[in-house]
Amino acid sequence: MAKPNDNGFEPKIVAFLCRWCSYAGADLAGVSRMTYPDNIIPMRVNCSGRVDAGMVMAAFERGADGVLIGGCHPGDCHYVNGNYKTRRRVILLKRALAEVGIKPQRLHLEWISASEGVKFQRTVTEFTRLIKGFGPSPMSEDGKN
Amino acid sequence: MGKIKVGIYWAASCGGCDVSLLEIDEQILDVAAKADFVFWPCATDTKYSDLRAYQDGSIDVVLFNGAIRTQENHDLARLLRDKAKHLVAYGSCAQMGGVIGLANLSSRKEIFTTLFGEKSLWPQEESNQDGYPLHLPAFLERVLPLVDVVDVDYVIPGCPPPKEMVSKFFEALLEGKLPEIGAVFAAEKNLCDECPRERKEERITRIVRPHEIEPKQDSCLLDQGIICMGPATRGGCGAVCPLANMPCTGCAGPTANITDQGATMLNAIASLIGTGLEGEEELEAEEAILAEIDDVIGTFYRFSLAASIFKGAQREQRG
Repeated sequence: MAKPNDNGFEPKIVAFLCRWCSYAGADLAGVSRMTYPDNIIPMRVNCSGRVDAGMVMAAFERGADGVLIGGCHPGDCHYVNGNYKTRRRVILLKRALAEVGIKPQRLHLEWISASEGVKFQRTVTEFTRLIKGFGPSPMSEDGKN
Repeated sequence: MGKIKVGIYWAASCGGCDVSLLEIDEQILDVAAKADFVFWPCATDTKYSDLRAYQDGSIDVVLFNGAIRTQENHDLARLLRDKAKHLVAYGSCAQMGGVIGLANLSSRKEIFTTLFGEKSLWPQEESNQDGYPLHLPAFLERVLPLVDVVDVDYVIPGCPPPKEMVSKFFEALLEGKLPEIGAVFAAEKNLCDECPRERKEERITRIVRPHEIEPKQDSCLLDQGIICMGPATRGGCGAVCPLANMPCTGCAGPTANITDQGATMLNAIASLIGTGLEGEEELEAEEAILAEIDDVIGTFYRFSLAASIFKGAQREQRG
């Protein structure tokens, strides 16, 4: 593992987790007593397809330094195709973020199933480290010039 | 009772809004019979000092077009708010920043550097020209919609506002039947509701620009791969652009329930694209389709960037 970035900055990360897979994966990580950074603010949504572009933008507007979206693996969506919609949305959103000057890596989409507690732990740990390295989002109070 | 007093001001605008007033054809005679234009820099020689001399609230209605780009625009918005009984955001720029709002993708410094070069050549707010002091209004860091500076009573959207909306407004004004504060002189539903083109396909399998194909007359432009902002845009114009084979670009702004027009359209496009392929092939094909959108912000936020959640460029600090 790379050396954790220790610049004293504790990012706020909003994690939209789908109820059927990723939120259950987070639960599994919890009941298995795995540890991961407490920077994430989990938001349970019924489907990753529920996470519309406006919700991601609103999270950044209200001070999130990073946004994580967790959904079911392709083919596993409880609502058949919600995660595919999110995947396309994230492609466009990342480009929109880049065009307004926000690092597109601040938005991350990951497929985490209900049995992947370890993957949840790893994803959150790595994403938190990445955002720590980036510093505050330019839309957050700390990041405003 | 005297004539209705009307003021018209252009802030950061192209002048198209002022011209659009004439689109109401012979109704302009009714307007001229019942109303006096007490302040209209585009058409009459009125000075700011004349405007300041009016009592507060003495101008019945002020149609304000253009975005807030300079301190002068900002100050006039404040002044006109004081003098006007009713202040109307007229056109996309006053309503949402409009096309001018796209300048928010660049900072003041970047704009000045591009225009004037090194800093010593930038225009100064205070300077001396041949012994006379010259004051220029400050250029604000960001373009703002009117509503960010003062309270706005009514909105007449559009770039420029189409005849129907302007006509509806003057009708209400002349009859003394202006609606409740906050009314928008356009439809409540989105543009697709009044567009005669028929939507047949379930999925978009390609994205093209309007000049690349000859669109079929009767079917939905989105079906044919042209990005049409109809789903995220307020109707009321009679779908004039789609009827002329051009896609809606969103000038009327979002419907009442939408906070961010671009985000809504982005969602719609992402949901509509589909290839019928599977696995990695599908992902690659979707990425290729989406790559055809050249300019995400310019496409989805052509008129609404300054009023969007982003408001403009955000600069990453080096962390």
